[in-house]
Amino acid sequence: MSLSVKNITKKYGDKLVVDNLSFEMNEPGVYALLGTNGAGKTTSIRIILGMLAKNGGEVLWKGQSIDVVNTNVGYLAEERGLYPKYTLMDQLMYFAKLKKVDKHTAMERIKYWSDRLDVNEYVFPAKGKGRKVAKSNQADQLSKGNQQKIQLMVALLSDPELLIIDEPFSGLDPLNTDLFKSIIREEINKNKFLIMSSHQMPTIEEFCSDITILDRGKVKLQGNLSDIKKSYGRVNLIVKCEQDIASYIASFNLRIINKTPSEYHLRVEGEDQAMAFLSKLIGDNITVIKFELREPSLHEIFVEKVGADQDEE
Amino acid sequence: MKNNITGWRDVYSFTLAQVLKSKAYRITFILLVLMVLVSMPITGKLLFNNSEDENALSPVNKVYVNNTTSYTDIDFKDLESTISFSHIEFEPMNKDYDSLVDHIIEEENSSVILNISEENGAFSLHLSMSKEGQIKRAHLQRLGDALLSSFTNMRMESIGVSDEQLLLLQTPVVSKVTMTDINGEEIVDENTSISFSEYWFVYGILFFVMMTTMLTGTQVATSIVTEKSTRVVEYLLITVKPLALMIGKVFAMLTAAMIQMLSMVAALFVSNKISAAYAPEKETMLSQLLPSDLFANINLTNMLLCIVLVFLGIVFYAVLAGLAGATVSRLEVLNEGLTLFTMTSLVGVYIGLGAANTLMGSGTNAFVVFAFLFPLSSPFVLPGAILVGKASLPLIGIAIVLQLAFIMILFRFVARVYETLILHSGNTIKLKELFKISKSI
Repeated sequence: MSLSVKNITKKYGDKLVVDNLSFEMNEPGVYALLGTNGAGKTTSIRIILGMLAKNGGEVLWKGQSIDVVNTNVGYLAEERGLYPKYTLMDQLMYFAKLKKVDKHTAMERIKYWSDRLDVNEYVFPAKGKGRKVAKSNQADQLSKGNQQKIQLMVALLSDPELLIIDEPFSGLDPLNTDLFKSIIREEINKNKFLIMSSHQMPTIEEFCSDITILDRGKVKLQGNLSDIKKSYGRVNLIVKCEQDIASYIASFNLRIINKTPSEYHLRVEGEDQAMAFLSKLIGDNITVIKFELREPSLHEIFVEKVGADQDEE
Repeated sequence: MKNNITGWRDVYSFTLAQVLKSKAYRITFILLVLMVLVSMPITGKLLFNNSEDENALSPVNKVYVNNTTSYTDIDFKDLESTISFSHIEFEPMNKDYDSLVDHIIEEENSSVILNISEENGAFSLHLSMSKEGQIKRAHLQRLGDALLSSFTNMRMESIGVSDEQLLLLQTPVVSKVTMTDINGEEIVDENTSISFSEYWFVYGILFFVMMTTMLTGTQVATSIVTEKSTRVVEYLLITVKPLALMIGKVFAMLTAAMIQMLSMVAALFVSNKISAAYAPEKETMLSQLLPSDLFANINLTNMLLCIVLVFLGIVFYAVLAGLAGATVSRLEVLNEGLTLFTMTSLVGVYIGLGAANTLMGSGTNAFVVFAFLFPLSSPFVLPGAILVGKASLPLIGIAIVLQLAFIMILFRFVARVYETLILHSGNTIKLKELFKISKSI
């Protein structure tokens, strides 16, 4: 067991913002912490990182209480955090020093990550005349995406064992999103422990094996993503036919989740109902172009779990 | 506790390096040092520009004497022994007044008219000069003083009073009231008041400490709010505890401010040396302005005590400013957050000023002792009082202990609330809410 979060609770006055959150990461990989805005994800992350005092519970790393000073943790926050007027090199060296990375190693890693993330021109700007250094080496001169790259560098400089990434792809173009994804995959392959928080459900499905969905501080759903999906069964049916099948859908009493000009996205009770529906279409000589029966996506599960509660209220 | 402050040195060195590198700091530094460098020569120039050598020849060459008194043998021979007036020729006014005035204006503007009159037994000496020419009011004033003195001597001689008798008459009479004990021994009441120049010295030190305190405090608060508003603090807090962050900042800003202040002091001494060139007796400005017996109290112990007091004071106020900075989330509202810091430091400064005034007016009393001991005011007023020899060693010791206790209490409070404050974003947290947070943790 490497990371164990046990019953952490946080209150601001009378308001409970995190209520008994528990999860474990026994193997390296990516754990997803999901939730709506204000669900308590960032507060939970801050508590896990030891940044914020908690009202109850404990966070253990390798069996010991997590301690910011002695644990090698990397953190990529949702919002960028760079000194706007200091040079990038100064900032990177400072963060490395705080992480107890020696100067030589820090410089090597800065060079490596600058190359990898294609930010050499900002981290090592060409010197102008005399001692003047180009202004582009200050954070406030960088685009949002480039700031995000520098921020990722900061998180990786100490080669952390535990990496917490909050909305890692926000502000990135598709090329850089792919670059970030490849880096995350590399970290997974290096047997690192990652906690990821994102609103992009396909990304979570791409990387995470275990999830927790928070809603207003409470755990709404938790467990292995495949198991959760299996528990829902194959109830999502996507059908595309040459003829209109609205009357068939009505006769089978199927719920329409979504309808596009060419496809129906339907909810069935189970595989048997789906097969009966297909037999009926074929029997009536309807030309079926696409018939896909699958488990619900994480997006659908999320909307169902969190949305249903919010609708009730 | 060790973990709470681990990493403060890294925060210190980075913050200090960045402050020293910043353009604003460098420009302020250069401007301040330049201003101090020229201050003493300019003051000297302004003060001594109009003064002249006492032995310089007066531009007055002739005095027409218009004597309307009963004294007929006025000769002003005394002035012959004075180098600056020895060349002056005295001549009775023979022309009528108006034609003599015209003559002086048109042809003889180095001459003046002396009107000596008598009314109801009172004498009056009145000098008139031309607007044109080299004679200025200051020259005429000096000549007038010399003529008055000579005239008085002449009058005394005429009524048969000798120089010794005159001196005796002019000796001031002093009255003194003393208290005695039961045995008739005089009870000596020690004079604890300070002179006017000592007051200005204490005031100068107070002003210097206030400047350093304000500068350090504001810089600490600004730095904390900048880290909060740019979210850098989130990245720092995964490595260092909030208290280490605060300590590193406070000491870095303190060092930066001290570098600035000590450079100003050094520049002041250089400026003072330069000012000697403008002084009539080649005396430096500080030696004329500072209390003459000041150096009797400047020794290693006193200097160390002063440094400790100032240091503790600045640390106290900087921590307070840091706390104030943490209560706001944006630089635009920093002033609002700094109200508590500003008010507290002003209370300290005014109590210190009041104590300095009281010291000059009536010497040490209960209020002065309170100001020396009260941790808000002691860093401002006590160092000056130590250097003019008005604070005893036990009193200083108690003041330092109280200051330390105050800092410890503040640190404990800050340690409790700072973690919550540093991650707070939103409206400024008020004092009442601070106490609430402190209790809830």
